[in-house]
Amino acid sequence: MDKVTTKGKGKRKAKSLNEDEKEIDTGPSLLTHINTSDAESEASGDSEEEKSDSEESSSEEEGDTEEDDSDETDSDDDDDGDAGYDSDNVEKAQSSADPDTRLPSENGKDEYEYDSSDEEDVRNTIGNIPVNWYDEYDHIGYDVEGNKLIKPKQADALDEFLAKVDDPNYWRTVKNKSTGQKVLLSEEDLKQIQRIQSSTHPGGSDDLYAPEITKRYRMHIPAPKEPLPGHAESYNPPEEYLFDEEEEAKWDGQEPEERRMDFKPEKFGSYRSVPKYEKFINDRFHRLLDLYMASRQRKMKMNVNPEDLIPKRPEKKDLQPYPTREGMIYKDHKDMVRTISPDPSGQWLASEKKDLQPYPTREGMIYKDHKDMVRTISPDPSGQWLASGSDDATVKVWEIATGRCMKTIPMAGKVTCVVWNPNPAINLIAASVGSDVVLINPNVGDKLLSSNTDSMLDGYTEAANTSDQKSPVTWSTANTEEHTRGVRLKIEHQQQEIVNFTWHAKGDYFATVQKGSKGQAVLIHQLSRRQTQAPFSKPKGLVQRVIFHPVHPYFFVATQQHIRIYNLVKQELHKKLQANCKYISSIDIHPGGDNLIIGSYDSRLCWFDLDLSTKPYQTLKYHKKALRQVAYHKHYPLFASASDDGSIIVSHGKVFTDQLLNPLIVTVKILRGHKTANHLSVLDCKFHPTQPWVFSSGADGTIRLFV
Amino acid sequence: MASSTPTLASTSHIQAKFFTKQTEYAIPDVPYSLPVNVSPKELNDIIYSVLYEGETEKTAAFDFLIHGELLRSSLDVYLEDKEISTESVFEIEYIERQAAPRPETSLSHDDWVSCVRGNNNLIACGCYDNTVKLWTRDGHCLTTIPGHSGPVKCVTWLKNTDEDDEHLFASGSHDQTAFVWRWKAAKKEIDCLYALRGHSGSVDCIAVNEDGERVVTGSWDKTIKLWTANNPSPEEKERDDSESAHQPKKIKSSGHKMITRVPLLTLGGHKEAVSSALWLDDSNVCTASWDHTLRTWDMSRAEQTQILEGSKAFFQIAHSPLSNLIVSASADRHVRLHDLRTKEMKGTYTSHAGWVSSVDWSKSDEHLFVSGSHDCLMKLWDTRSPKAPLYNMIGQEEKILAVDWSIPDLMLSGGVEVILFADDLALLAQNEDLEQASSLLQQGLECIEKWSKKWKMTLNVDKCEVTHFSKWTKEASWGLNVTVSC
Repeated sequence: MDKVTTKGKGKRKAKSLNEDEKEIDTGPSLLTHINTSDAESEASGDSEEEKSDSEESSSEEEGDTEEDDSDETDSDDDDDGDAGYDSDNVEKAQSSADPDTRLPSENGKDEYEYDSSDEEDVRNTIGNIPVNWYDEYDHIGYDVEGNKLIKPKQADALDEFLAKVDDPNYWRTVKNKSTGQKVLLSEEDLKQIQRIQSSTHPGGSDDLYAPEITKRYRMHIPAPKEPLPGHAESYNPPEEYLFDEEEEAKWDGQEPEERRMDFKPEKFGSYRSVPKYEKFINDRFHRLLDLYMASRQRKMKMNVNPEDLIPKRPEKKDLQPYPTREGMIYKDHKDMVRTISPDPSGQWLASEKKDLQPYPTREGMIYKDHKDMVRTISPDPSGQWLASGSDDATVKVWEIATGRCMKTIPMAGKVTCVVWNPNPAINLIAASVGSDVVLINPNVGDKLLSSNTDSMLDGYTEAANTSDQKSPVTWSTANTEEHTRGVRLKIEHQQQEIVNFTWHAKGDYFATVQKGSKGQAVLIHQLSRRQTQAPFSKPKGLVQRVIFHPVHPYFFVATQQHIRIYNLVKQELHKKLQANCKYISSIDIHPGGDNLIIGSYDSRLCWFDLDLSTKPYQTLKYHKKALRQVAYHKHYPLFASASDDGSIIVSHGKVFTDQLLNPLIVTVKILRGHKTANHLSVLDCKFHPTQPWVFSSGADGTIRLFV
Repeated sequence: MASSTPTLASTSHIQAKFFTKQTEYAIPDVPYSLPVNVSPKELNDIIYSVLYEGETEKTAAFDFLIHGELLRSSLDVYLEDKEISTESVFEIEYIERQAAPRPETSLSHDDWVSCVRGNNNLIACGCYDNTVKLWTRDGHCLTTIPGHSGPVKCVTWLKNTDEDDEHLFASGSHDQTAFVWRWKAAKKEIDCLYALRGHSGSVDCIAVNEDGERVVTGSWDKTIKLWTANNPSPEEKERDDSESAHQPKKIKSSGHKMITRVPLLTLGGHKEAVSSALWLDDSNVCTASWDHTLRTWDMSRAEQTQILEGSKAFFQIAHSPLSNLIVSASADRHVRLHDLRTKEMKGTYTSHAGWVSSVDWSKSDEHLFVSGSHDCLMKLWDTRSPKAPLYNMIGQEEKILAVDWSIPDLMLSGGVEVILFADDLALLAQNEDLEQASSLLQQGLECIEKWSKKWKMTLNVDKCEVTHFSKWTKEASWGLNVTVSC
């Protein structure tokens, strides 16, 4: 119904409601078509319209009523009245209707006080006769005692009209035909009426006849398939399936449960001659029994993507920086560069290198001036200078940023080890030449630092030699000629060639390893007091490398296959690590002090987590030839290994402070650049102290920087 | 222009309009139908034929820009790259092509040149042999200043003083000092005005602000120091005279004692060496460091104002006041373009094969800059062409350590050069006929010329002389007609 038509409709409605008595009579089959919302809008609309119309309409009222009368009959006959109600419904509604709206009965008591839907007959005292027979009386029927039941006072048309204007509930007020009572329909009643109109269940349940969907029904598990018939079931089975007499006798003799097959294979000449399957009904019944009786259960299969089981690989970009390419070549040595470092887990090498950045990716610079192979290199703690030692008997100092050779210090022989003092307040390079260790003040960088270093060395006064022990080494200051070249101190070892040299992190102590397996192979020297001691009386093996713990007073001694950790304070063996390789060539300790990498001549790199185990946490075998050097970066989570195969492999090795997390090791870059000469290629590799750059020195007499 | 594209009729065509901001080269605004595989050269021919119809003398070449990017390949490759439809009419801007730079001259140094800076007609070079050299534009060495005790790492020009013949410049060195020098062109003499002492590492960069009153230096010791650069007052001189009496003097080039200045300000913040510093305006300084950051500092308030994180160590930065952008050089062969205002990297220019050591902006064009690398190439870049440089300048045989474009029409590069010397060369030609003798000599000279070119040597023609020996005492009035073109 449109708003536009409201007025007309409203009038029509008013009329029809006037004839409620008649309409209610129409019986249970008449379902009315009240639309609640429409009715509401009509109610409000009506009241306004009627207000304006009230004057003019008053004169017409008589006519209207007459018309109404004719309408009444129409609606009665046609069953199309707008507001006809099923009498049953109305009666139901009465029970919930507000009692105030009912007119009180004659004796002042609510007629329906005792009412219940079961007693509806009680009120209908007139029997099944037309109500209009009582029209001319003022009562309808009689009660039990024979008293007249007085009809409620009939409102005339004017009252009806006023009620229509004033009473907001007028539209839902209906008249009970059998008592003449006015009844206000509640919300619940209206809803019920609506439901009846829309042909749904009056009680409100959505779909009475919809099948009940049980949980089991929803989780439908398909019935297991019956096995397909085999050759034995064929109408023309191969000969071997047919029973011979013996088998047939056996089959016949068996109980049905014991039989291997529940039928006898039979051969027929054609498909036509196959008889009806006698046990069909039986089979179907048993099948259904199976399906019905045997509870089926959904098998909870784990749907696991095998990819998900692999631990998540970190993006290489996140692991950057690490050296990725050659940045610079430092070449001046005429012989091979002996010392430099490699990488662990080749598995991820191929992809996503960018994710672990920064790391060195390409060659950035070549430092070339050495005329022979450069065995050893060492950057200064500030990262401005690089010292290199070569077989051409020189130590050179380079400016890292430009590749310029700033100083060349001639030495007495091949330089096997060059190590810059790790203490930034001391400007000293230690170089091992043959059986001597030479301390050099390179005089580059901060002048104040250089002069302080000199005065520190000059300030030494020889303490009275209290011990009678014969010192294994001789400390001597450099002569004038050597002094001008930068040499400050010489420590002459009486034994063999020095194979390894290492500083303590504070820069006062240093340790040397001599060739041979005598008790004094390892010596610890103290720079400030110029003292030397041999910490181990008995050799435990052929010592390859020694290194100081960066923080704690531990001392790592690597023999061919083991690493022993000594506590220098307690003077005892702290731990012994099994290297799982044949010949350790190099060792480096993580700046945190809890992790250690070693390189071996059998091309393995082992990572030890000292907290975890005495066995390697990870062994990486990605180099094709012997490892020459391994190195950790001081700040970035990087380590590198250098091998005779000419490559330097840079890996990301992240150590977590959380004890529960194991180190993360990802190989990120293979760097090449050095030429191979005499089966030697890369001899040393070291990281720049601050940048993610790696230096390498090689047998081709160059030093390369990968950035 | 059917005439210019007759052979390409079979390929598909696109509609294009040409326009330019350079009014002298404007052509009518009509769309042209171009074959899609047209190359910039053919485009150039089209423009050229419209502009100079009938004229044969070529006066200009053009570069073409589509959507602000230089067209370096043929058009179809570009369209494919950018996935631009060939349906629509698109606009091609053309600009006069930057003329190819030519090697002007070579200034030979005995040692590596670590830095170079030009100013009007003068070029200052800092060398690894601890000297600063002054050159004129035409390659004449004015003076060599052996003032430093370590390799010179940076030079810069201060403002010219009122007299035109006075030029001030400053140099910083590995010896942890910077000196300010005065060159008097008229008297051809050099003064050391004062020394800037205070750094505890090598002075790696030095920059002067617009009015020449303030100098900022950056050093390996991670600090930035600010100094005054005004001329020393007489009191300062007197006071310093007494002080410096007991100081070991490095240089007394003009007889008077050297004045030492201490920094006005020391700013710390960088975690690694400061590799480059420059003034953005009168009070703001931008510095680059090995710690992968660019920082800006307000010198009037002496505080850091901005920090821009990069991914690689910066070796040098250059700022263009025209475009307000910064280019940076780093070890990974990329040149990067940064915008300080948005703190973002605007572009990466990759073409160098090695360590990029130095960059500098053009002073006149907001799009052009040069970069020098250890791969022996200096490259001229247009910011709109990130993939390939405009020109490669080959000339250096070794690493380039410094480039400079302070003189608008002169790009300078300094680097590692191997210098050879040959002494006392004599050619002997003997013949009865003077003509033949001289032709023999000429042949010999040509040989030497070739050889010297090969080894990059120059012959000092002034010192050449011809001696003629003859049996006859008769005075011969003849000259040798030989030429040397070195």
